[in-house]
Amino acid sequence: MIEIKDLHKSYRMGSNSLHVLKGINFKAESGELVAIMGSSGSGKSTLLNILGMLDVADSGEYTLDNVPIKDLSETKAAQYRNKFLGFIFQSFNLINYKSALENVALPLYYQKVGRKERQEKAMSYLEKVGLKEWATHLPSELSGGQKQRVAIARAMAAEPKVLLADEPTGALDSTTSYEVMDLIQKINDEGNTILVVTHEEDIAHMCKRIVHLKDGVIVEDKKIEQVRAQQYV
Amino acid sequence: MFDRDIWQEIFHTLKNNKLRTFLTGFSVGWAIFILVMLLASVNGMQNGFTSQFNDDATNSIFIRPGTTAQAYGGFEAGRRIQLKNDDYQYIKESFPKDVEYISTRYFSNTTARYKSETGNYSVQAVHPEHQIIEKTLITKGRFFNNADVVNRAKVAVIGRKVAEDLFKDEDPLGQFVEFNGLPFRVVGVFTDDGDDNAERGIYAPITTYQRIFGDTNDVHQILLTYNPTYDLTKALEFSGKLEDLMKRRHKVAPEDQAGINVWNYAEAFDDISSFSAVLSAISIGVGFLILIAGIVGIGNIMVFTIKERTKEIGVRKALGAQPKQIINLVLLESTFITALSGFIGLGFAWIILSLIGPTINTPAFTNPNVSLSTVITATIILIVAGVLAGLIPAVKAANVKPIVALSDK
Repeated sequence: MIEIKDLHKSYRMGSNSLHVLKGINFKAESGELVAIMGSSGSGKSTLLNILGMLDVADSGEYTLDNVPIKDLSETKAAQYRNKFLGFIFQSFNLINYKSALENVALPLYYQKVGRKERQEKAMSYLEKVGLKEWATHLPSELSGGQKQRVAIARAMAAEPKVLLADEPTGALDSTTSYEVMDLIQKINDEGNTILVVTHEEDIAHMCKRIVHLKDGVIVEDKKIEQVRAQQYV
Repeated sequence: MFDRDIWQEIFHTLKNNKLRTFLTGFSVGWAIFILVMLLASVNGMQNGFTSQFNDDATNSIFIRPGTTAQAYGGFEAGRRIQLKNDDYQYIKESFPKDVEYISTRYFSNTTARYKSETGNYSVQAVHPEHQIIEKTLITKGRFFNNADVVNRAKVAVIGRKVAEDLFKDEDPLGQFVEFNGLPFRVVGVFTDDGDDNAERGIYAPITTYQRIFGDTNDVHQILLTYNPTYDLTKALEFSGKLEDLMKRRHKVAPEDQAGINVWNYAEAFDDISSFSAVLSAISIGVGFLILIAGIVGIGNIMVFTIKERTKEIGVRKALGAQPKQIINLVLLESTFITALSGFIGLGFAWIILSLIGPTINTPAFTNPNVSLSTVITATIILIVAGVLAGLIPAVKAANVKPIVALSDK
């Protein structure tokens, strides 16, 4: 599903440049649930941004669902993001003046799905994350966990190939974190490929595979026994 | 463009920032208001000028002889030029297609007496067509006709004031009034919108007066109207030709305006229309400068809006919004504010003009109004202005890097 070869990325900081990714080789099959771990500055967010086509690598290859991702124009990148990727952010990034339903429907709008179908689809995803009754509420009327669940429904709505979650539980307390992880596990159980960036050990162990990043290189890549979040909920 | 979601977002932004929307909208509305009022004022001035001139047929040409200022063709300067019946005949026969109506004028004064009332009045001895050229309004009876001219009939058309002076309450029609002792029958009474003074005048057939003054062939002026279908260029060309011919006939130097003066009303209108064209150009210029201030205001606000919504735009881009969709959103918003506030300004100006415009009726300023074309032009300007105002902010928005927008956690 995802394949990257010898990925390099450096940022220019004034006169000296900062080499963030120093040759990453990584492969993820369809249906995997991968945790990307590392301390801050290890390059995990940069990796996720490149995978999410929000940033461009300096060199190396990136193939997503057998499509080579390179030399993308803004428009093309937008189309690929819309078609291939669903984003889940630490700070939820819901649009604050749109209701939960409208937020979930937004990626479908950019897929040019008709209004009615959009509403129905968005509603079914909201139902999936258990927030059907909250459809007309604004994000400000929802709790943190509910917001993140709306964000997950939004990421799912476009039916992407890969879900990219950047510290999805970073802004949540542990109980709510487990609820969100439970949801992510269930989505993964249905066969969706999910990449989770986290620095929390317990969250990482709820995935099926942990990739450790340190100073821009992968230092450890292991399959693990998944801890189900269900038991903590 | 007619996407419900886009409009929902626009309304939302405007609703959440009422004061900001109002302040920017006001600057554009105000600018359009001033622009329209300026144009209407120019229009009013134009109307005023036109109404000043509409007493006479606007397609008339006057030929007035004078005293030559230059020696020419063997004659010394200072020669008096005298027009004759021949000149009238010559013009009439030479330009059957160009001339609509033509008349001569012979000026005289007379002491008129009816019963015990007497008065001194100016007499214009003319051809019947003079009535049409000068737009003389007959209130009673008729103007004299060609038969009167041929028969050298002693008939007269008197002004309203003359009738009041001489006849008091009597009906002057058919009565005989003595001009310098000669009895003339009154066949009509005229009024003149132009001024009261003209109503102290008397019209009589040219031939009658020429006989009274010793069977002369002299006339003092020739006036005519040209084919009304002529435009300004054609009219000026015709009067130019007329001038050349008359000067040649009377051996006046071609550039000598004092010898024979051919005056075309069209020239005056040419002057007035170029004058008001300059005025409208100035007012359009001033209006535009004010409008630019408004546009910059809207652009300014849009830049702030974009700054405020950077994160949202980043999220949208992450979700798959294409740059052109973001541009669309911003452009539509700015166009919407501009157009809406502009229309409000336009509406206000229009209401004020239609309320007070028709009541203004002074010689120099009559019924200021705006034409449909002005309104349409203003609308187009507004939409273009809105697009221009949104352009820079929109490009700025489209260039928002989602990674930068989303990084501030």
